[in-house]
Amino acid sequence: MDKLLDLWQASGIYNLQPGQFVMLLVGLLLLYLAINKKFEPLLLVPIGFGGILANIPEAGLAFSAVENALHFAQPEILSNLSAALGISSTEVHAISEAYHTANATDHQAAVLAAQDGGYNNGMLYNFYSVAIASGAAPLIIFMGVGAMTDFGPLLANPKTLFLGAAAQFGIFATVLGAVGLTALGVMDFSIQDAAAIGIIGGAGGPTAIYVASLLSPHLLGAIAVAAYSYMALVPLIQPPIMRALTTEAERKITMVQLRQVSKIEKILFPVVLLLLVALLLPDAAPLLGMFCFGNLLRECGVVDRLSDTAQNALINIVTIFLGLSVGSKLSADKFLDLTTLGILVLGIIAFCIGTAMGVLMAKLMNKLEGGNSINPLIGSAGVSAVPMAARGSNKLGLGAKPQNFLLMHAMGPNVAGVIGSAGAAGGLIKFVG
Amino acid sequence: MEESLISQGLSLMVFGMGFVFVFLTLLVGVTMLMSKLVVKFEPVAVASPKKVRKNIAPAVAAKDDELVAVITAAVHKYRS
Repeated sequence: MDKLLDLWQASGIYNLQPGQFVMLLVGLLLLYLAINKKFEPLLLVPIGFGGILANIPEAGLAFSAVENALHFAQPEILSNLSAALGISSTEVHAISEAYHTANATDHQAAVLAAQDGGYNNGMLYNFYSVAIASGAAPLIIFMGVGAMTDFGPLLANPKTLFLGAAAQFGIFATVLGAVGLTALGVMDFSIQDAAAIGIIGGAGGPTAIYVASLLSPHLLGAIAVAAYSYMALVPLIQPPIMRALTTEAERKITMVQLRQVSKIEKILFPVVLLLLVALLLPDAAPLLGMFCFGNLLRECGVVDRLSDTAQNALINIVTIFLGLSVGSKLSADKFLDLTTLGILVLGIIAFCIGTAMGVLMAKLMNKLEGGNSINPLIGSAGVSAVPMAARGSNKLGLGAKPQNFLLMHAMGPNVAGVIGSAGAAGGLIKFVG
Repeated sequence: MEESLISQGLSLMVFGMGFVFVFLTLLVGVTMLMSKLVVKFEPVAVASPKKVRKNIAPAVAAKDDELVAVITAAVHKYRS
């Protein structure tokens, strides 16, 4: 009978907390959206599954060795831990607080004490430290995105870079919104949190994860989920804004075919961009450096094997670990919170403002150039979500006038948006990091 | 404290947005300059490979014709 009781007390059902139960449902919801509704399945399947794994009671997959030791709270290990951290109390909360504020030496000592007690880092915690805390995974994905990007349309019409710049306004408007909410007492965001939330408006998943991991790791789960959900929702969010801001006549504007871009220009462009970053904004160098590197692999034509690996095998491997690691941040105490709701709302506002500014900028450029050469629909592609945003512009263009193919014209602002949001990310890291 | 948070947000917006625009404006300038230089120094880089291939192909075909003629003649002579 005692054995039966032990078994029951070690079971998941006995130990399940209400928060964990809700998070398990959130994980299942993400899986449902990914599998049934095809919302960014490449990322939401790993994220949703990681979220489920992270909330399995007693398994502690998303916890570090010390957090696992604290969870089981055996008296002698607690006293070892408090000795390692140099505090007198052996109470779980006090140790936890000391652990999170400890300097590197004490931190290490606490980890060793926990490992002596037989506790180890959870699997997802290890994935998270290697993939995200180190900054590696988002940067490797950025390299893959660079290797997939064709700068031809941008080089043929460099002025579309301005559309990519205008769409970044959403980022900064949202930063202002987040600090405004804090000032009104509705939410409690620091300026770092606000910057990390704003970057959702850049609609680049890896950029958002990179900035959040540097500026406010405790919001990473919600920010990553919001960023990827909105990328999936681009075809729903953008068209109403684009229709509202353009007239029928403007949507019918046919753009002249782009000129042929030579191979040498394509090889030189990533190098030129990298030099400009090196001279002006070293803080964006990790993101744009990897992006340029990936693009050079693609365009130089002598390392096709590396280019192929960067845009296929490697990016897929990294995506798996990135997704699981983001999922590990979907723990109940951090996700089930008014803050998450605030992030979701602010994120979608950021996205809408970015879209609107891109379209308005395109209208302005069209006016300046005589009113019949730039279709304002391509402006919405200035948010970086490649290539969903460009496809949206194309679809609306075709809807206004058959044969009005805008896809290649919209790809220019689209990749400009990637450069713009990485530049904005560098600026944010520089100013508040 | 709260006042300063707002002003921090405002200055972030002005400087950040200004910076993004300056950066991309420079990029537009540098890219256009680069394209001009490339077009100036390598004007026919795209068109030339096609021409070469076209010249080679007929030559090979002509040689083939010659070869066929020679072989046919040889075969005729051998048979006769």
